[in-house]
Amino acid sequence: MTLPSDYDIRYSVTEDLAILQQWLADPVERRFFPFETDQETEDVLKNWIGFSRYKAALTGMVSGQPCAMGTLLLMPYRKVAHHASFYVFVEPGHRRLGIGTSMVRNLLHLAKTRFSLESVSVEIYEPNPIIFLLEKIGFEMFARQENFIKIDGSGHARICLEHFFT
Amino acid sequence: MMKNNPIEIRFALEDDMKCLIDWLQQPGVLQWFPLADLREIEDAARIWIGNSKHNAVLTALWEGAPCGMATLYIQPFKKLAHQSLLAIIVDEKFRGRGVGTVLLRELEKIAKERFQIELLHLEVYEGNPAIHLYQRLGFVQYGYQRRFIKDNGQYIGKIMMQKVL
Repeated sequence: MTLPSDYDIRYSVTEDLAILQQWLADPVERRFFPFETDQETEDVLKNWIGFSRYKAALTGMVSGQPCAMGTLLLMPYRKVAHHASFYVFVEPGHRRLGIGTSMVRNLLHLAKTRFSLESVSVEIYEPNPIIFLLEKIGFEMFARQENFIKIDGSGHARICLEHFFT
Repeated sequence: MMKNNPIEIRFALEDDMKCLIDWLQQPGVLQWFPLADLREIEDAARIWIGNSKHNAVLTALWEGAPCGMATLYIQPFKKLAHQSLLAIIVDEKFRGRGVGTVLLRELEKIAKERFQIELLHLEVYEGNPAIHLYQRLGFVQYGYQRRFIKDNGQYIGKIMMQKVL
């Protein structure tokens, strides 16, 4: 797994919304997200790109074109503001190149350095293969809830994982 | 909806938000919520009471006056519509009188009958005596997030509980 030689990461900008919408226009790509309908997708993606205002969202680039995006979902209340969760998505044509790992590592770095967070958590739905990447990076499971989400009509578990910096 | 003298349960009204804000400001209550100040309380109360437009919030009355409230957080996503997070609060003056039990039983009933909820879940912070009530009503722990709350440098863990309906 080698990152493309011209791979780079920049902060996301609001104009990236159109690309994100394009990637997630395919219902297959929504499989491991909680949103399903076009309206649900629209709402979530607008919220996602909204974090670019705080420089909490990142866009992966290959050959000058976006290939992945991720954002920290900063918490709105003070007593829980020392941690955050995140979304990440790699464009299908750029998977299995290490871009997902790089994006997650960069989100963690951003969380630690820019926002002085103490941990980052994430919620994933089985059988999302991203769990292997997350465990490799050092995320640990703290909750598993059966039948949390219905994917294609059948119940799937949600798995909550967290990575601590200290 | 249900009579159990002197506790009565009805659907919450927008106007009940004032009571909710008052109860959240009672001494010691905020240690069991992620909220820290009035701005955050008002924000959370608006979201809570916003569920009343789906008739997903119940208010308990003690001799006709509001004494507690419980809500289902109706999921905005179709894929999650079969389950719901809940929250509950009881006015400190009416604790230990069974208000929480009645509220939760009624909430469970509307979850099942009105919203076809299959899975009810909640989040409670370590040390909260309400954990015993949840256990008594059949909620079991499925997760624990340590250091979830940081209040004046002190960490408190979050216990995640659920009940399959």
